Amino acid sequence: MLSRVASHLYWMSRYQERAENMARILDVGQSLAMLSRGGADEDAFVEPLEITGTLEQFETSGLPRTPDGIARFLAWDQTLTSSIYNSVRSSRENARAVRAAITTEMWENINETWLQMQQKRHHEVEPINNDFFEWVKERGHLFRGVTVGTIRREQPYHFILLGTFVERADNTARILSVKEQPDVNGQGFDSITDFYRQSALLRSVSAFEAYRDTYRDAVDRKRVAELLVLNPQMPRSLRFCFDQVVRLLARLPVDNARPARQLAATLAASLEFGDIDEILEEGLLGYLERFINSNFELGELIREAYLELE
Amino acid sequence: MPEPRADAVSLLPPNPGGFDEMLASDTEVRPAYASYAQWLATTSADSLTRKRDEADLIFRRTGITFSVYGDESGTERLIPSDVVPRIIPADEWASLCDGLTQRVRAINHFLADVYHRQEIIKAGRIPADQIFANDQFQVGMLGTTLPHDRYAHIVGVDLIRHNDGDFYVLEDNLRVPSGVSYMLSNRRMMMRLFPELFQRYSVRPVEHYGGLLLQTLKEASNKPDPTVVLLTPGQYNSAYFEHAFLAQQMGIELVEGRDLFVEDGFVFMRTTSGREQVDVIYRRLDDAFLDPLAFRPDSVLGVPGLLAAYRLGNVVISNAIGTGVADDKSIYPYVPDMVRFYLGEEPILKNVQTWMCRKPDELAYVLDHLPELVVKEVHGAGGYGMLIGPTSTKEEIAAFRKVIEQRPDHYIAQPTLSLSTCPTFVDEGVAPRHIDLRPFVLSGNEVRIVPGGLTRVALRKGSLVVNSSQGGGTKDTWVVDN
Repeated sequence: MLSRVASHLYWMSRYQERAENMARILDVGQSLAMLSRGGADEDAFVEPLEITGTLEQFETSGLPRTPDGIARFLAWDQTLTSSIYNSVRSSRENARAVRAAITTEMWENINETWLQMQQKRHHEVEPINNDFFEWVKERGHLFRGVTVGTIRREQPYHFILLGTFVERADNTARILSVKEQPDVNGQGFDSITDFYRQSALLRSVSAFEAYRDTYRDAVDRKRVAELLVLNPQMPRSLRFCFDQVVRLLARLPVDNARPARQLAATLAASLEFGDIDEILEEGLLGYLERFINSNFELGELIREAYLELE
Repeated sequence: MPEPRADAVSLLPPNPGGFDEMLASDTEVRPAYASYAQWLATTSADSLTRKRDEADLIFRRTGITFSVYGDESGTERLIPSDVVPRIIPADEWASLCDGLTQRVRAINHFLADVYHRQEIIKAGRIPADQIFANDQFQVGMLGTTLPHDRYAHIVGVDLIRHNDGDFYVLEDNLRVPSGVSYMLSNRRMMMRLFPELFQRYSVRPVEHYGGLLLQTLKEASNKPDPTVVLLTPGQYNSAYFEHAFLAQQMGIELVEGRDLFVEDGFVFMRTTSGREQVDVIYRRLDDAFLDPLAFRPDSVLGVPGLLAAYRLGNVVISNAIGTGVADDKSIYPYVPDMVRFYLGEEPILKNVQTWMCRKPDELAYVLDHLPELVVKEVHGAGGYGMLIGPTSTKEEIAAFRKVIEQRPDHYIAQPTLSLSTCPTFVDEGVAPRHIDLRPFVLSGNEVRIVPGGLTRVALRKGSLVVNSSQGGGTKDTWVVDN
């Protein structure tokens, strides 16, 4: 297939996933802010800016430093490439550029998302809350469903999935990087609050039920990290994403892809043979930061292997 | 005329003196529309409105839109699709088909001739300067031999029906005719909205157009199983939707100039597994943009070296480079002569009578009759620089007279033809609106035409301008058995 087409498909699905992930990040941010209201960490609501690396840009946007201001920024801002609005638009622009390479159903779905999005933007006064996040996620579910249900299992499909999993791995790592509640009194964590925090995090990545079924035990942060980093059955875990990335790269033309495949295989192996105690010992945040950087590097190698015109 | 139910949509009478496709008079329905008229009489105005709104919604959802240059707010617009079909009886269609086939065959003979032996010029049937001074004439094509001597693989012929009930050719679009996607999507929409009408009528299908087009493009090459691509200027082109739609229908790659490159006289596309050779390019951009080395050096849409590869015979371009010379308004008057010269037949389709201002006696006639004529610029397309006598003021006519007198060879004149009308669903009810017809003629190893075409309709009352950029819409076009 054409390199340009592969590139559009890959970015179509990356932006699609990014829109959904931004909604998930905002969702968990709002939940955490509610939990910490009046508590020790009143600044919790800026977490979504921290973990998406957009704090500086937000400061220059002129929007109020309130939960609602931040939500408007991350949802609607037109200068922020990764805002939900821009992600949906970029996804649709990429799809439109390769209208012939995707199925009619996929195009209609993604176009409909864009049209509905513009409608929603007309009602900007309405709060950006759970209803909106659910809408974004639902459009994402629909798009994946229509993709799986209609497109042939050939290269276009594999590039679409590749974009999804590279983007999703980044997102899960960022959500897990959400700051721990500070232990201000030196008396250990308030177990009730911590339960709600960890639950909110699990819910934001649709993993609450999976946690319950996997551990059948109280929600604690070590298991949450284990589930979202190392669990091979959890569709948003780093391990799962990288198993998929390795599998997908093996199905694509291999001529120029040795560096990308090597890095992907290395990351996948370190996840497969990883141990949560070791990871926590060296520090979860540092581990995740290194992962996010490696994943970014993988994106660059994929671009060099397949997506460039020269 | 059937008796309508109480809340039926009002059916307005045809324009006096005009030809209406449905109504022979205020009270008489033409046979092909008899069953439709019965159906309409039993259909409420409300339900027709609902269907139209549903159609708009579906078109918008499916993204069947066209881009408008310089319009930042709504860069994509819908071309309105009317819910009343244009119906053509099979016998009328059969004779149209014969005429179109004959005309396109003659044009292909003509193109092969002007770029090789030039016999029609030697025979004195067309003056040499009419061809060589034409800016659509491509010197680079002289002596270049194409597979099967075939130049115009895809032609969209614009026809109108005059008051006398006959069809006339207005224009042969030989460069990059567009609009076929509307023919196909209008049909899908009508079948979805009005399945009951398709039980009343056995409408000849058009859905196989994509298959025929691909077959035609493959037959344009000498290779047994050539790789065909569709070359688009990109997603901001006004017809991008159609390019994507057709590529998808045919299952071929939709490429942009930057996806292709030329090496050692062959054309390749850049793919995820390296280069792949391209044999046939169905191009949807004009000659001038195809190759910055040969034509406009500022074109970023084309492929450097493409013309060289083409002249070596290593790639087929469809339509061929230089076909525009045959659809220029200055050549149009000679098409009936081409039919006689190359095929030895009498033309089946009529041309609109045309006065060429380059001929002194015809110029004199034109200048004497400006208020009743339409004067058009040659070398031009798309309705720029023209005078419509009957709707112009004395001052406008006087000003245009000066322009013609300065460069008479730049102008032709034609009588003001009235386009036939077809009932169309508008605010005031189902009312007569002017229409034209663009069938698509495919020239492969044989000439193929899907039954129907694109019917464009001027939605404004009394307007004769059917262009989508100026308030035109489209209609599904049905060829039905008598």
